[in-house]
Amino acid sequence: MAVAALGFGGATGSMALAQNVVTMNTVQIFGTIDPAKISDYTDYMAAVNLYDSLLTVDSGGNLIPQLAESWTVSADASEVVFTLRADATFSDGTPVTAADVVYSFERLLRINQGPANLFAGVVESGNVVATDDRTVTFTLSKTFAPFMATVPALMIVNSAVVEANLGTDDGQTWLAANVAGSGAYLLESWDRGSRMVIKRNPDYYGEMPDNPIDEVRWIVTNDEATVRALAASGELTMSSQFQSPDTYAALVDMGRFRMVSEPTATAFYLKLNSQLAPTDDVHIRRAIAYATDFDTIREVIFPGEAMSTPLPEAFAAFHNDDIEGPRYDMARAAEEVAMSAYAGQPIPLTLGYVAGTLFEEEISLLMQSNLEQLGFVITQQPDPWNRVTEIAASPETTPNVNQIFFGPTYPSPDSMFFTQYHSDAAGTWASMEWLQDPAVDDLIDAARATGDVDEQAAIYKDIQAILMDQMVSVPLLAQTVQHAMDNCLDGFAAVPMQSFDYDFARYSWSC
Amino acid sequence: MSVSGQKPLSNAWQNWWRFSRNPTAVVGAIIVITSVTLALLAPYVTPFPEHVGAVVDFANRHQAPSAVHWFGTDNVGRDIFSRAIFGLRVSLLLAVVVLGLAIPVGVVLGLLAGYFGGWVEIVIMRVTDIALAIPPLVMALAVAAVLTPSLTNSMLAIALLWWTWHTRLIYSITRQLRSQEFVEAAETLGASRAHILFREILPNCVSAIAVKTSLDAGFVILIGAALSFLGLGIQPPTPDLGTMVASGASFLPDYWWESVLPGCAILFVAMGFNLLGDGLRDLFDVEDVR
Amino acid sequence: MEFLAFLLRRLGWSLLVLLGLSVVIFTIARVVPGDPARMALGPTASADQVASLQESLGLNDPMFQQYATFLHGLARGDLGRSLLTEQSVTADIAKTFPATLELVICTILLAFALGVPLGVAAARWKDRWPDNLVRALAIGSAVMPTFFLALLLQILAGYVLNVLPTTGRLPGGIDFDAGWTGLVLVDSLIAGRGDVFLEAVRHLFLPTIALAAATMGQIARITRASMIDVSRQDYIEAARAFGVPDRLRMFKYMLRPAFVPPLTITGLEFASLIGNAFVVELIFSWPGMASYGIRAIVQKDLNAIMGVVMVSGVFFVVVNLMIDLLVGVVDPRVRIRGSRA
Repeated sequence: MAVAALGFGGATGSMALAQNVVTMNTVQIFGTIDPAKISDYTDYMAAVNLYDSLLTVDSGGNLIPQLAESWTVSADASEVVFTLRADATFSDGTPVTAADVVYSFERLLRINQGPANLFAGVVESGNVVATDDRTVTFTLSKTFAPFMATVPALMIVNSAVVEANLGTDDGQTWLAANVAGSGAYLLESWDRGSRMVIKRNPDYYGEMPDNPIDEVRWIVTNDEATVRALAASGELTMSSQFQSPDTYAALVDMGRFRMVSEPTATAFYLKLNSQLAPTDDVHIRRAIAYATDFDTIREVIFPGEAMSTPLPEAFAAFHNDDIEGPRYDMARAAEEVAMSAYAGQPIPLTLGYVAGTLFEEEISLLMQSNLEQLGFVITQQPDPWNRVTEIAASPETTPNVNQIFFGPTYPSPDSMFFTQYHSDAAGTWASMEWLQDPAVDDLIDAARATGDVDEQAAIYKDIQAILMDQMVSVPLLAQTVQHAMDNCLDGFAAVPMQSFDYDFARYSWSC
Repeated sequence: MSVSGQKPLSNAWQNWWRFSRNPTAVVGAIIVITSVTLALLAPYVTPFPEHVGAVVDFANRHQAPSAVHWFGTDNVGRDIFSRAIFGLRVSLLLAVVVLGLAIPVGVVLGLLAGYFGGWVEIVIMRVTDIALAIPPLVMALAVAAVLTPSLTNSMLAIALLWWTWHTRLIYSITRQLRSQEFVEAAETLGASRAHILFREILPNCVSAIAVKTSLDAGFVILIGAALSFLGLGIQPPTPDLGTMVASGASFLPDYWWESVLPGCAILFVAMGFNLLGDGLRDLFDVEDVR
Repeated sequence: MEFLAFLLRRLGWSLLVLLGLSVVIFTIARVVPGDPARMALGPTASADQVASLQESLGLNDPMFQQYATFLHGLARGDLGRSLLTEQSVTADIAKTFPATLELVICTILLAFALGVPLGVAAARWKDRWPDNLVRALAIGSAVMPTFFLALLLQILAGYVLNVLPTTGRLPGGIDFDAGWTGLVLVDSLIAGRGDVFLEAVRHLFLPTIALAAATMGQIARITRASMIDVSRQDYIEAARAFGVPDRLRMFKYMLRPAFVPPLTITGLEFASLIGNAFVVELIFSWPGMASYGIRAIVQKDLNAIMGVVMVSGVFFVVVNLMIDLLVGVVDPRVRIRGSRA
């Protein structure tokens, strides 16, 4: 084998690229690209580029037109009429019609996965009707204030193409590997588990920035060393938002990268299981909050913005500013332990976190060292993420303390409160507090039933006060999303809905 | 293969003399004894025994090796040297438990298959062959992942496959011994089968088992380390060498000591058992034990 | 005739092993605590979403019926559908297996190309420095954790020297998928893409060394031992007495019989080689079956786990069958004895 020749073969970076290519690493695999099944952050990242919805969301959380050019909401908020753009086309050139919207909605309900639960009980099957080719009416079964905010999650499929590839499962097999959408990008290749490549659709109906991104390559790796190697070889143009501070520093040192960071509406909590001893005692929960070294967590372990209530300040209009946030005070923590029913004995406590996540392990160790001083007997319980989703299904298997990130799945405070604290949403990783408080349920329902924003704000502020008094979730920080980005890449702005901020139709190349 | 019957007592001295002339064996023995002693006395010989628990010292994270911290400190400021010594405990415990389960099972099955032949042999050896067709690490991964990942499950998974090697070894020795004069003599004298198996044949397998055990201990430690490297090891904060390498690898190359030095510790202890096994093999002259 | 009988016996035997393997795998996969349907649907799925998927996956059928379904599918090369990828497991494995195969083939070639000459050299200069070097290498490679070696190589070549790529199979700029054999080395040569071939070699370099080290050490050790063994045989002594030149004696009369033990050890070592491939693929982000398997294991994707373990087992059995036949060709006595055990 000619070893000498190998040394000269490193022509990776010198290949002339006439196009604007973004190479980004992502830490999780793309689970699915079927718009009826997408559920997590990574799924949405691919889907928002491949599919368009009636509406989309901007960085202020506002709804903006996408396939729909306009919409009207009836006075009692029970009926919404969308008018589609006349020039909207799928990637095969056929026009996007109201019938496709109806088809996409019905398919979503039939498959009953992914975003289907957003519409369950709100819009029934048969209540989305095409009046003509460009007009579609959604009739709601009840007043549901957050409805409009959930519309971007309904992505529109090309009904003719899906029908042609229906198979026996509503086209699930076909759409798992192919795209029938109207998005700005087309699927070029997808090697599950290692990479996905999408290419710009030159015939895209919508608006694109000047000097748009022609191709996006996602490389799946959560290995810091790999990310650095990719950056050093000139391949990487954008890091994931989950790299370690050391990696960010190393990338910036290379000169080609800059750091972009923005506060987000994604919150990081210690969720305390309120139905399992000893965290069933409010004094124990408060003691844990006082024993949390917020500064070390936010400044050394995982950079983020302070939070004073479970609602991130990104929802400024709904945030209760009167509440003083939790603070680190070991003396107060000891007092709370003394007031609890478990005082004067060793108190067993399990700390759960996602296995293999270094910063969560660091936080868990920090908690353990503080809590042991208060007489707790700690068991660390790292679980892989899929196992976390299992143990969250019952209060007996949910650990006492859980480190959980939760961000809005649609741009409304309702997403934060309903999913985490309403009894009807119990049993998921997002509701590991097991709050089950009828008073809180009533307040959340009341906010949903009113169209009056001021009234909603007042209700949400009350909920925050109750939650902080009960201390079921210790708000650690509001995540600051950070990326190391190539100096030539522009357009990143955090969006308070899933991963809509990685819609590359909003990005451009400035070199 | 030495298949003579009883050995005179003076052989022990001869053996010891030959053993001490064999540099490989001596170095191996010294490493093994050192590792075991360090592991047993870990709380007394390590500079920061409290770092085995939940101690965090963020001001001292990522310190390079120094006179205070011989192996440097990790991402929460704990002394890596102390944790590596405690980590030896997990590795050695793994080897003891796995081999403690696998050897008796493997030896008994090997004796039965080799001595009785016939369908006993067919059944046992076919099952052995099936088990050998599954890569141990893959099996351990599957079992440990299917159950909850923990040290116990990892040990169980490894032990589940490991007996096969001992079965094969003892089987081939027993088959050779079955037709030896001293076995036939015992049969003629009407000795019970149990007596023949465990009193006549087994003692002649002891040297081979000893060699195999020593070599195996190294390999079990390696597989255990690989499993914990892949995230299927013992729960934190208890130190585990494979886990230390894995979490240290996130900080390569800047804080290289966090993964490289615990890796060297695995290498060290595995090397000890291997050298010792190699030396014993020369000593007992059991060439075909791998 | 005699060779044919030997072949058939070995084949039948391999089939029996595979059948047993399928039982073992099925048993393990179906004692899984936890619910694969819930995991496939994600955290926001409702209880009835989960129940309907359980039903459609046949998770509610009796065990023996599930095994019968599994076996029936297996016979047709159907391993079921992956919960995670929504594709058939067979298709997933077919897509990822060539990368693993390429890595493993290169590993074995490298192990032989280095191990046999080293072993011969050690035997030729017994107790001199080449011998000591080989013994040190053999022990070192046997006790070196593969994941640790892989990391060290990555640090050394990727960061310190910065000469070789440390991840993946090809650089991101090259999208090469000829789809003939799936082996990039072969396909790129057929397609006349020298640049792709060179990049493929560069990417193969580190993972191959990491994976080959242990096997190479064993091959060198066994080659040395068997060369020494053979050199003590009467016919070699005779050749020496007749004044047959050293080199001719070495290569013509000794190497061929001495080749059998290294082949045999490769067969036995192959199981641990596959196991190590999991670690190596993970560290070098190699897009092979092992990476797929690790993901399946983490996600408890049952069909995929069964598929990967099954294919690993089949791979092992097939390679050992091939080695048996090869040994039968090199050393005719084996055919009569029937098995190399």
